[in-house]
Amino acid sequence: MTTSQGIIMILAGLASGPLLGGLIAGLDRILTARFQSRIGPPLLQPFYDVIKLFGKEKMVVNVWQAFCANAYMTAASISVVLFFLRSDLLLILFIQAVGAVFLVVGAFSSTSPYSQAGAHRELLQILCYEPLLIFVVVGIYLLTGSFKIESVYAWNQPVLLKLPFMFVVLSFVLTIKLRKSPFDLSTSHHAHQELVKGLLTDYSGSFLALTEIAHWYETVLVLGLCSLFWTTNPVGAILLVGLTYFLEIWIDNVSARLNWRWMLGYGWAMGVSLSLVNLVWLYAR
Amino acid sequence: MKELTYVLIFLPFIASLTCFFKIPSQVRSFMILTTGCILIVSSLLLIPYVPFAFTPQILFGLGVHDLIRVPDFILMFAILYFGFKHRSLLVIVPAVLQIVLVVWFEIIISSGMIEGQQMFRSVTQAFYCDNLSLIMVLIISIIGSIICFQAIPYMKNHEEHLKLSTSKQPRFFFVMLFFLGVMNGLVLSNDMIVIHFFLAATTLCSFLLIGHDGNKEAIRNSVRALWMNNLGCLAFTVAMMMIYHNLGSTDVQQIIRTPPGTGLSFLALALLCFASFTKSAQFPMQSWLIGAMVAPTPVSALLHSSTMVKVGVYLVLRLAPAMHGSFLSQCIALFGAFTFLAAAGLAVGQSNGKKVLAYSTISNLGLIFACAGLNTPESITAAILLIIFHAITKALLFLCVGTIEQHIESRDIEDMRGLYSKMPLTALITVMGVVMMIMPPFGLLLGKWMAMEAAARNIFVIILAAIGSALTAMYWARWAGTLMSDPFAGKFKLEKQPVVTWAALLSLCAGAGILSIAVPWLYTGLFTPSMSLNYVPPYTLNDGVLENSYGIFAAFPLCLIAVMGFLQSILAVRGATKARICAPYLSGIQTAEHRVFMGPMNQLVKAEAGNYYLSNIFGEKKLTIWINLAAGVLLTLIVGGAL
Amino acid sequence: MFNKILTRARTMSPWVLHFDCGSCNGCDIEVLACLTPVYDVERFGMINVGNPMHADVFLVTGTVNHRNKKVLRNLYDQIPDPKVVVAIGACGLTGGIFREAYNVVGGVDKIIPVDVYVPGCPAKPEAIIDGVVLGLEKLKK
Repeated sequence: MTTSQGIIMILAGLASGPLLGGLIAGLDRILTARFQSRIGPPLLQPFYDVIKLFGKEKMVVNVWQAFCANAYMTAASISVVLFFLRSDLLLILFIQAVGAVFLVVGAFSSTSPYSQAGAHRELLQILCYEPLLIFVVVGIYLLTGSFKIESVYAWNQPVLLKLPFMFVVLSFVLTIKLRKSPFDLSTSHHAHQELVKGLLTDYSGSFLALTEIAHWYETVLVLGLCSLFWTTNPVGAILLVGLTYFLEIWIDNVSARLNWRWMLGYGWAMGVSLSLVNLVWLYAR
Repeated sequence: MKELTYVLIFLPFIASLTCFFKIPSQVRSFMILTTGCILIVSSLLLIPYVPFAFTPQILFGLGVHDLIRVPDFILMFAILYFGFKHRSLLVIVPAVLQIVLVVWFEIIISSGMIEGQQMFRSVTQAFYCDNLSLIMVLIISIIGSIICFQAIPYMKNHEEHLKLSTSKQPRFFFVMLFFLGVMNGLVLSNDMIVIHFFLAATTLCSFLLIGHDGNKEAIRNSVRALWMNNLGCLAFTVAMMMIYHNLGSTDVQQIIRTPPGTGLSFLALALLCFASFTKSAQFPMQSWLIGAMVAPTPVSALLHSSTMVKVGVYLVLRLAPAMHGSFLSQCIALFGAFTFLAAAGLAVGQSNGKKVLAYSTISNLGLIFACAGLNTPESITAAILLIIFHAITKALLFLCVGTIEQHIESRDIEDMRGLYSKMPLTALITVMGVVMMIMPPFGLLLGKWMAMEAAARNIFVIILAAIGSALTAMYWARWAGTLMSDPFAGKFKLEKQPVVTWAALLSLCAGAGILSIAVPWLYTGLFTPSMSLNYVPPYTLNDGVLENSYGIFAAFPLCLIAVMGFLQSILAVRGATKARICAPYLSGIQTAEHRVFMGPMNQLVKAEAGNYYLSNIFGEKKLTIWINLAAGVLLTLIVGGAL
Repeated sequence: MFNKILTRARTMSPWVLHFDCGSCNGCDIEVLACLTPVYDVERFGMINVGNPMHADVFLVTGTVNHRNKKVLRNLYDQIPDPKVVVAIGACGLTGGIFREAYNVVGGVDKIIPVDVYVPGCPAKPEAIIDGVVLGLEKLKK
């Protein structure tokens, strides 16, 4: 792409996190409320939340939380920008992982047991979803012949038709990344879990706002990965992503939280076996 | 360049001899510093001459091969002597076998009787240096010297701690410096017999250094290292003889240029790979490296992470062109990926800091073997990148752990909890080292990215590598978090360390960072020429962005963004120092001391936390047996498939 | 202009920390009833956070006694500014029916400054919501 196109894409990527991610988060809360026979907050509620948080008094448990929150935000935004620039999928994964690790280190830097336990659970979550994401990306590579996103757009069929199992694996990852039940072990959007707010317990004010915006960026990224499975028709992409997201919220509301052994065991077992089946079938064609 | 080669190999020998005698410690320290600086300068001066090859003039009518004969026998008898001294049959039997075989070999060569084809006469070039050798020389000379520098205050402290009446430092530095020369000689040699000599010499040095402290545990582990490495040397000897039988030559460059399968038997290659696996402590021969962690930390840094264990990967990378496209190569890829995963899993279950570093080393070496086994231009580039960046970063981490260990007198990660409040700069450098191990845009991650993209066609390798990569992130992030786990509410007070220690740590840290930024220039300057003899350059480089047909890594732009992000985050920290410091959330019952809460009966209780080591799943005792079994099966496949 | 946006955001997103000092749980049940679909305070952006560091509005029920006064103070200190304190129920206002017991200190305002008093025994959910909304007026200044 040309330089001007590139600059537009960079700006779009940077804006997509706060704007698009915030709207998706608002939609999430309204849908959840409707599932629970409530009315729910206005659509722009997440924006009010984040702006309010930026206006709070600056308070930290450990000054390095500031570093970690900023690093998380930087990594998440760069990974989305690279996605918009149609860069290398494996690279995007590794950059996204930088943010996740810094979030964990920031949680470790506080001595509250809730924070520490939440950090360990988050590490186990990363342990669970990182290989699965790599399998999905490798599946796309084996199909289109390249890790670059532009090759997916150059593919004249929806990728979903050839990689259906990989989409199931990706939705497993989506459940973990969006922090939805049954895999919202380390922290969740609902109030009062058994670890108070888990990973995010000791973040407050503007640093909490930064982690929230970084989470929006990650939401945009993972939903973007879902959209790669139907690139031939924009309507198809929106339907696929919308349906998947709707299902995630529905599953969130009907299931209880499970423990990390279940998540890791089932995730790896299902992830590895589904990936093997799909990839071997692809490879053998 | 001949003079530079001789300096690089022989100056450490001379320096080590001077260390051996009783001289005042300041003189010895000055000598070590000077030797190290000369080595660093010489290795850098070597760069313009590469690639080169030469054979030295005949000395007293003897060629290199003849000169090495006597020292080789002395070495093998020395190993036999130590086998008898420690009554270890495992050492004695292979040592005797080796002596017998080498004698037989010498008889065959000198009588000129060769069965089969007589293709080559003698070694054409005794010394050969291409970019791979140059990279190894740079690593050995620069990183090795820095480690020796840091060893000076470390050993002084170590001996004060042990309350030794007579200093054992002369012996220590004698072996350390000797080892540097031996390593340089190994990577610059082209003759298998000379390589065999240097290989045995590294085995002996390792044995002497692991057993340095002289207590029961040290001696036991040093003997184990001796017999395992000696077994590898034996395999090397057998392979060397088989190759001579088939090709009539011990010249490495000539050997790898013969097409695979014709004349160069796969069994010989498999045995050489076995020797490499032993040297690099791959499963099931990993116990010597884990046990070697009882040695003083500079030993662990020099031998067991940066240099000696790299000999194995160096040998396999040298031989990779000869194995191109073979079943053996594929098996090595699978074996390497398996090691990568298994060692990462074992590291997750460890709380001993040095053992975590040891398993991490084995894990990364497994990944490098996997790259060598995949044998494509991308994977070989990845292997070279991994070697360089792993050497620097692991040396840095070992030196940090050594410094920490001397301060808090423990090497357990749980005792390093909240180290930031006691040793802020060291803790930060360690965290920086951990970040450089697992994160983009640093070179190690670049190598891992290249390796995974190269491996993606091989389903089993990529599955193993993906899970291994996730486990790697887990144990590193856990350690980094534990170090920072103390609410910091005071002024940043720099802890006291010797100047040499700060110089060593900071130079390695800065070096790794600068090299990561310089990867585009390294690629065009160092990697592509070294591979053009055997492989087509895999990536194109535009404005610091590495690209090939299926992948793209914007190395330099990401470095710039990372630097900006880092600066911005540091500014945020400075802003946060003016913020209100509050206690961590402890359900409202915290006291003014932030870790302490008001418990039952108004007793003060300290909030404790511990890390998940998941020892039920990843425990060393539980898992090692299964891993060794699986590794044994894979090794049998490698050797059996070669038959 | 930024101040206007900030004030609006603050009033549209009051995160609530609920603390039961020594309550009989009557008021607490009414507070939790606000979160149910019947009253649905999430319409106003109110979320029940369990953590003072995330909270804006501090809902306190029950009497303060010598045991939990330190906890109350700790939690209040851990809430970053700007914050609103709402004392709920007769016990929260003055100590209520337990005022003369030997361990009772009294109402919440003996330990921390209170912005809104919501009387009742127990206070009705509608009254509690009214009280919080009244408290948000303070944030507008």
